[in-house]
Amino acid sequence: MVVYSFYIFDRHTECIYARTWLPTDRPLSSSTGAGGGAVTNGASKPPKRRDDNDNTAKLIFGTVFSLRNMVRRLGGDDDAFISYRTAQYKLHYYETPTNTRFVMLTDTSTMSMRNVLHQIYINLWVEYVVKNPLSPVEHRGGEGVKNELFELGLDQFVRSLM
Amino acid sequence: MLSTRIKLELFGCLAAELKRTFSYRQPEKRPDGRDDDEIAKMTVFALIIINKAGGLIYNKTFHEGGLNKINTNDLLVLAGTFHGVHAITARLNPLKTSGDRTSTASASGMLSRPEPPTGLEVLESENFRLQCFTTMTGVKFLLFTDTTQANVDVTIRRIYDLYADYVMKNPFYQLEMPVRCDMFDRKLLSYVREINNR
Repeated sequence: MVVYSFYIFDRHTECIYARTWLPTDRPLSSSTGAGGGAVTNGASKPPKRRDDNDNTAKLIFGTVFSLRNMVRRLGGDDDAFISYRTAQYKLHYYETPTNTRFVMLTDTSTMSMRNVLHQIYINLWVEYVVKNPLSPVEHRGGEGVKNELFELGLDQFVRSLM
Repeated sequence: MLSTRIKLELFGCLAAELKRTFSYRQPEKRPDGRDDDEIAKMTVFALIIINKAGGLIYNKTFHEGGLNKINTNDLLVLAGTFHGVHAITARLNPLKTSGDRTSTASASGMLSRPEPPTGLEVLESENFRLQCFTTMTGVKFLLFTDTTQANVDVTIRRIYDLYADYVMKNPFYQLEMPVRCDMFDRKLLSYVREINNR
């Protein structure tokens, strides 16, 4: 099982956290830590990669948002979009009651990662970000989550899965 | 003497039952890709065909109650949305960005050209499962089934066969236009009914 990337979107459709675990021989390794996809100021060091990531996050959000609405219209309001798979990758989706959205891209052979995303929400997001009095509730301007404990925990957790 | 026979019979029954439960847990795939135990508890809800421009050209509900009722207008919007999302999902491949593809192709020659990215193939939700099959010409077949349904790709291929036989070979059918072919309707209905009643 391989995890390619992980994104968190807040209820204002903003990407507040992005993280990739691509193979090391690729230039786009895990260099973009906190809120990589979300920062929009031009002062970042590798601007092209940053833009790429930014665009990818937007595309992912659009996809997930459309599919979620489609699923709700077809399957009723209690229905929830879980995942989709293409020949190259699989995207897993988990949405909390407060509309925070967790998205994970893995390889195609992975089983359902809904529990994993739920665990990340409960054990990492709530523990380290929500309960942190210093972390902002709203992310205006896409400042993103910069929380060392959360990032460390997430990295360890995902690496333990692989 | 009698009791031994009864015992033997009982034993036989038990063995058969055990065998059935065992084969139920590990269903063997038959060469045609079907297995009775798997298909037995499944339902095909609906079929949608989208042409290569994203227009809805066919839509049929086979099982009431599986999906919400949607009026034709919303369904057209839904087909268009799905067409767009499908195109985006093909581009989202995390391993290759669009820039890399040309460079690998030129570096290692034509033979090792990477597989073209496919868009969404299977979508899972809590209440249903959507299988999408794209033909070489860009027509999309969307089959909505039960969440537990297996071997949907076989079913969808068979439906594509029916489409090729009774829609494409119909001299009165205009390409890209809504499908109104009696034969296709009938064959499709009987095929899906066969699956749903199994």
